[in-house]
Amino acid sequence: MATSTATERGALTHPDVEQLSDVNRDVLKILSKPGKGWWILFLIASAGVGMFLGSWAWQVYRGIGVSGLNAPVGWGVYITTFVFWVGIAHSGTLISAILFLFRAPWRQSIYRAAEAMTVFAVMTAGLFPLIHVGRLWHAYWLIPYPNSRFLWPNFKSPLVWDVFAVTTYFTVSAVFFYLGTVPDIAAARDGSKGLRKKLYSVISLGWRGTDRQWHHFGKAYIFLAALATPLVLSVHSVVSWDFAMAIVPGWHATIFAPYFVAGAIFSGVAMVITLTVVMRKVFGLEAYLTTKHYDAMAKLCLLTSLIVLYAYLSEFFMAWYSGEEIERTAFWNRLFGDYWWATWIMLTCNGLVPIMLWFKRIRHSIPALFVISIFINIGMWFERYVIVVTSLHHEFEPWAWGIYRPSLTEMGIMVGSFAWFGFWFLLFTRLLPPVAIAELKEVLPPPMRKRTKEAHS
Amino acid sequence: MTDGIKRRDFLKVVGAGSAGATLTGCSTEQVERLIPYVVPPEDITPGVATWYTTVCDGCSAQCGMWVRTREGRVVKLEGNPEHPVSGGALCSRGHASLQHLYNPDRYTGPMIREDGELRPATWEEAEDLLAQEIQSAGGNVLFIGGHMGPSMNRLVSDFLGAVGGNRVQYEAISDAPLRAAAQMAFGHDVLPRYDIEHAGFLMSFGDDFIESGASPVAYQRQYARMASADDHGAKGKFVFVGPRLSLTGQNADEWIPIRPGGEAALALGMANVIAAGGGNAGPYASVLAAYDVGTAAQMSGVSESTIRDLADRFVSEGPGLALGPGVGGHHRNATGAHLAALILNAVAGSVGRTVHLEGGPRSASAPYADMEAAIGAMADEQVGVVMVHGTNPAYSLPTVSGFNDAFTSVGFKVSFSSAPDETSAMADLILPDRHFLESWGDSMPMDGVMALRQPVMQAVPYFDSKQAGDVLLSVAARNGANLGAATFYDFLRAQHQASHEPAMGDFESAWRRTLKTGVAMHAGAMETGAAAALRPLDSAITFDAPSFDGDGDFVLLVHPSPRFGAGELSNSPWMLELPDPVSKITWHSWLEMHPHAAEARGIREGDIVTVASDQGSVDVPVWLYPGIREDAVALAMGGGHTDFGRWATGNGVNAMDLLPAVTEQPSGAMVTVATTVTVSPTGERRRLATPEGSDDQHDRPIAPAVALADLGHEDESHEEGGHGELQELQGGGGFLPVPAEGGAPEAFPLEGARYGEYATAHEGPRWAMAIDLDKCTGCSACVTACQAENNVPWVGEEQVLMGREMHWMRIERYYEHVDATEASHLDVRFLPMLCQHCGNAPCEPVCPVFATYHTPEGVNAQVYNRCVGTRYCANNCPYKVRVFNWYRYTDENVPEPMNWQWNPDVTVRTNGVMEKCSFCMQRIREAENQAALEEGRPVRDGEIVPACEQSCPAEAIVFGNVRDPESRVSQVVANERTYRVLDELINTQPAVNYLKKVTFHEVQSGGHE
Repeated sequence: MATSTATERGALTHPDVEQLSDVNRDVLKILSKPGKGWWILFLIASAGVGMFLGSWAWQVYRGIGVSGLNAPVGWGVYITTFVFWVGIAHSGTLISAILFLFRAPWRQSIYRAAEAMTVFAVMTAGLFPLIHVGRLWHAYWLIPYPNSRFLWPNFKSPLVWDVFAVTTYFTVSAVFFYLGTVPDIAAARDGSKGLRKKLYSVISLGWRGTDRQWHHFGKAYIFLAALATPLVLSVHSVVSWDFAMAIVPGWHATIFAPYFVAGAIFSGVAMVITLTVVMRKVFGLEAYLTTKHYDAMAKLCLLTSLIVLYAYLSEFFMAWYSGEEIERTAFWNRLFGDYWWATWIMLTCNGLVPIMLWFKRIRHSIPALFVISIFINIGMWFERYVIVVTSLHHEFEPWAWGIYRPSLTEMGIMVGSFAWFGFWFLLFTRLLPPVAIAELKEVLPPPMRKRTKEAHS
Repeated sequence: MTDGIKRRDFLKVVGAGSAGATLTGCSTEQVERLIPYVVPPEDITPGVATWYTTVCDGCSAQCGMWVRTREGRVVKLEGNPEHPVSGGALCSRGHASLQHLYNPDRYTGPMIREDGELRPATWEEAEDLLAQEIQSAGGNVLFIGGHMGPSMNRLVSDFLGAVGGNRVQYEAISDAPLRAAAQMAFGHDVLPRYDIEHAGFLMSFGDDFIESGASPVAYQRQYARMASADDHGAKGKFVFVGPRLSLTGQNADEWIPIRPGGEAALALGMANVIAAGGGNAGPYASVLAAYDVGTAAQMSGVSESTIRDLADRFVSEGPGLALGPGVGGHHRNATGAHLAALILNAVAGSVGRTVHLEGGPRSASAPYADMEAAIGAMADEQVGVVMVHGTNPAYSLPTVSGFNDAFTSVGFKVSFSSAPDETSAMADLILPDRHFLESWGDSMPMDGVMALRQPVMQAVPYFDSKQAGDVLLSVAARNGANLGAATFYDFLRAQHQASHEPAMGDFESAWRRTLKTGVAMHAGAMETGAAAALRPLDSAITFDAPSFDGDGDFVLLVHPSPRFGAGELSNSPWMLELPDPVSKITWHSWLEMHPHAAEARGIREGDIVTVASDQGSVDVPVWLYPGIREDAVALAMGGGHTDFGRWATGNGVNAMDLLPAVTEQPSGAMVTVATTVTVSPTGERRRLATPEGSDDQHDRPIAPAVALADLGHEDESHEEGGHGELQELQGGGGFLPVPAEGGAPEAFPLEGARYGEYATAHEGPRWAMAIDLDKCTGCSACVTACQAENNVPWVGEEQVLMGREMHWMRIERYYEHVDATEASHLDVRFLPMLCQHCGNAPCEPVCPVFATYHTPEGVNAQVYNRCVGTRYCANNCPYKVRVFNWYRYTDENVPEPMNWQWNPDVTVRTNGVMEKCSFCMQRIREAENQAALEEGRPVRDGEIVPACEQSCPAEAIVFGNVRDPESRVSQVVANERTYRVLDELINTQPAVNYLKKVTFHEVQSGGHE
């Protein structure tokens, strides 16, 4: 069927897709009429967004005390979830930018979804610093702006770095995401009518697929990819410094930046697996998202899992090797203290479960990967919970040790944030082509006349 | 421009609009005009505090106070430094009495019961009714009163003399057994004055002189002076004998965990040894003969060698001072135990040296026996009118005493209580008395010392109250009796005029002087007489161990609460939220139980158990306490009010439900250690509302100690570990120089330090504090003082359970060695923890908006207005002294008029902001401004006194400028015991310096056992 050249070029491509027009057909079909599955998911997500915003509104009205936070544990589920979502945001850019630069051919069919995930995950993550502050109405003081009081934020504070890191990351990843979709929006425009057509006409920026446009597009895309790449490393490094710059035993470690970046990629890829498996099922994209893609993602998970596990072990080792009693106690407490269960969930989900990915059979089983990816998501959330909560609850002063129990409002906001993310992601799947049409076509065999083809075979 | 608005039209619209706005404004709400002082009161300058002297009425100790008022409202109470009792300090309960002035539950005016319901009445009506009832009762009046000043005392007597009737003095906590014992031993019907300060070997046979008893503040000050190591390395020793470590007990150097009631035998056994070694037993030689060491050991359960050893040291390390069982240890033979302690003192020659029979506290010592008789009289319907003043017997008497039934059976019951209590709940007429801060009065805390009480503010207008003295005079006048004065003020003045000594100048100026200084010392005050000799025993007394009712497994120890007394202060949120100095539990009641005893019964901490005696039972959660014997359990007074205001009612359990109504013989005191109880789990559990994270230091240099023997030695081996090592490392470069312990204090912040640079260029002061842990008793007066000064809100039990208490200062309590099974040394460490004002503060760089920063004066400042509430600073604070406003605690928890107490010099914080100790910045500024404005000079050392230092009865806290080598704080810090918490580990360079506790036993490296 496919030419030898095509097979070579598209080693990871789709046996079921025979023609370029199939891509347009299959992908744009998603945008047309939503199926039952989509509606059910969307209703659940909308209800969750209601809970999310309602819980937040209640917290703003009543005071941050509706959370379970307290004196030793000033950060809890909110910061945990913040770091979690920033981590999720990572792999989108990794897949789209870094793998683009490295010319990894398997990125094409997943990168759009991964990029969208990045944008929405940063949107979600960015809310959490706002959610967790005591006085939301003054949170804009963290932004450096000229004011009559001649007051600037404290540039020594990692929280101010966070503001820059997260906003920069959001801006760049949103622009990158949008830029990549322009040709596909144009394709959607061409196949749509009415309001949609008007909308697509505006946001496709007059894309007509001319040579000149493709030329500029390619240049812009590669520049943005180059710009986004360091951000992948910097954002989560900065987030890790929220902890590493503090003196809290369990936070104050130089390993934090690489450890967080690896963890972020780990959780991000797992989240891409989770999302695309659902997408694949709901939108019938089996032909585009094949076991080969999942195999590649699973390998990335396995690699990052090993890095993360190494980081865990080296933290424990360093705590012991330091000989510092307070540091040692902090890590002993991590394993066997009040929050032992969180640590063991973390170790099991992030260190033990991914061991299965060594097996090709598992890497090729999509249901198995889906389950493992959920485990990893849970494990990575708990990793941040362990770092934030267990470190804070047993600090220097034994008298001030305390226990933190998340409140219902906090859990509502945390669970609601998934709904908030899902809400945008579901809208995305209906409004923008969730699989990159143009790029897929690049790896498909070029259209040839049948006769010639037959003659060759 | 036809469609534009013309200028004229615009003005019309605006005019009409504002007129409309004005009209609607008027129609909905009544206009309240804010009128500034038209004729300003002479002594009120807006923004400047006015101070008055008065006398605390929180307990019978009667400390002199300074009262800080602002714009006519009392905002803070402080000790009067000129008063011999308070000496400038004030205890927690003294501070909290302010909350009863502004208690929102106070009666709004006189009340008359009609058809079972109380209805508001006018004073005219109420007094008419009382006069009429007294008349129809035909002089059959019973007056039940608590402690009162001499003039009020006189007035009540005069009143009862005029209208006919009897009086009973009743106080829940009484010193009657000690008084009875002094009478027996020396023939003086007084409370002895203990000279704790000059004792060398102090033994308390259960006296909790630090937190309760005759004079907590004065005795605590003396104790701290005696027990702290001086410059020569001398330190008095304190041995505590008792079944349970009270706060006083926790301060001891040794603990003899004696079985309840075994004190007398131990004291007599010791006296026997001392007498055999040459002590003068006088007429008691025959008594002592019966208590040879063997017998005493058998009776007390203390080993013979321990008795001999104690006896030897009582003399050799003396002067010895033995204190009998305290107000919390009244068992059936308490007088005997007190007498035994007095005999021990006499035999060891301490009477006249550390025990004086002159100038002792005149605290209430009313025998409960009188009350028993009164209950009988009421029950027999021999009483026509009963009046209750200054006491709450319906709550503080054992439930089985029959008081309630007897009281109810009286035809007409009058209560002078200013706020609802269990007794006034049954009264027919309520004549709300003024709070003592609104009243005239006097006090005589000890012989020759007279202090005046004056109204320091206009009576709180929400409450139409009238001073009981005025009511009595008015009622007497209605019944045709002339008591010589129209108002109590006149009566008081007349009393003092009559007793005025011409040597003190003319009366008017003496009166004014006394009002100004708060106290007048008469000739002969505080003088010490000759040593009194023991008198032969002329009445029957037993020294045997007392019997306990019932056959339960545990003896129930009921003791006054360090926070509530006998329950008078239970409606103060400050006291409820103050962690109990012993258990650290807030708000609710708890049962103290030894961990072994609990384990044997499968009881865990927090299990709710049923404690049952023959008299009743209560359900209460268990707190495991290694400082109580395995055969005893303890319950504090003050909980379980049924009608005492919004915070107290229904909170905790009342120990009086378990006690039999027994009087001690011969003193007639109420027996509080009377019965055994059974303890059985209910199967329910709860979390204890405690801020305590861990009572173990986990080998961290938080509250290290140094052995007395190691003081003055340059040997580093007994200092905390790692110190020398760190210096070595620093020699190699790379590290910031960490100051050596006891190093030059003015070196803060260090030259060339990379951090804390704010202060290096500054020429002014560097504020710092020194806290001597060898003096600190853990009494927590500083905590309440800080709360009062700095508008620190209370958060409530639920929030404490969530770990959100707001105190800017806390007392950490770590156990090092506590053994309830045998006599051994005791090591409990107290550490007042407040913001350390680090020179290199971890909280400062992490704040994204500069809400916390370092002032040039070395203070770590918190700008509430700038705080957005990220809580990063609190996370990064190694001392965990930053507290967060999770809710609008100041709005939501503080009802009118309790918010009148807010200190106007300190911002009231809203929700979502961080706060912490400011070193009382407002007091620093006030002192500086006063010095600059009034005398044009810089502030002097000692003029700035933060609230905690001001209040500390142990004189453990010193504040000042460490840049000034002559300042008190520099002097104190220049001590080999000085250390800074965690400084060596994390280089925070704190401004708060601690002086290590000094122990008699050896301390291992790291400062631990």
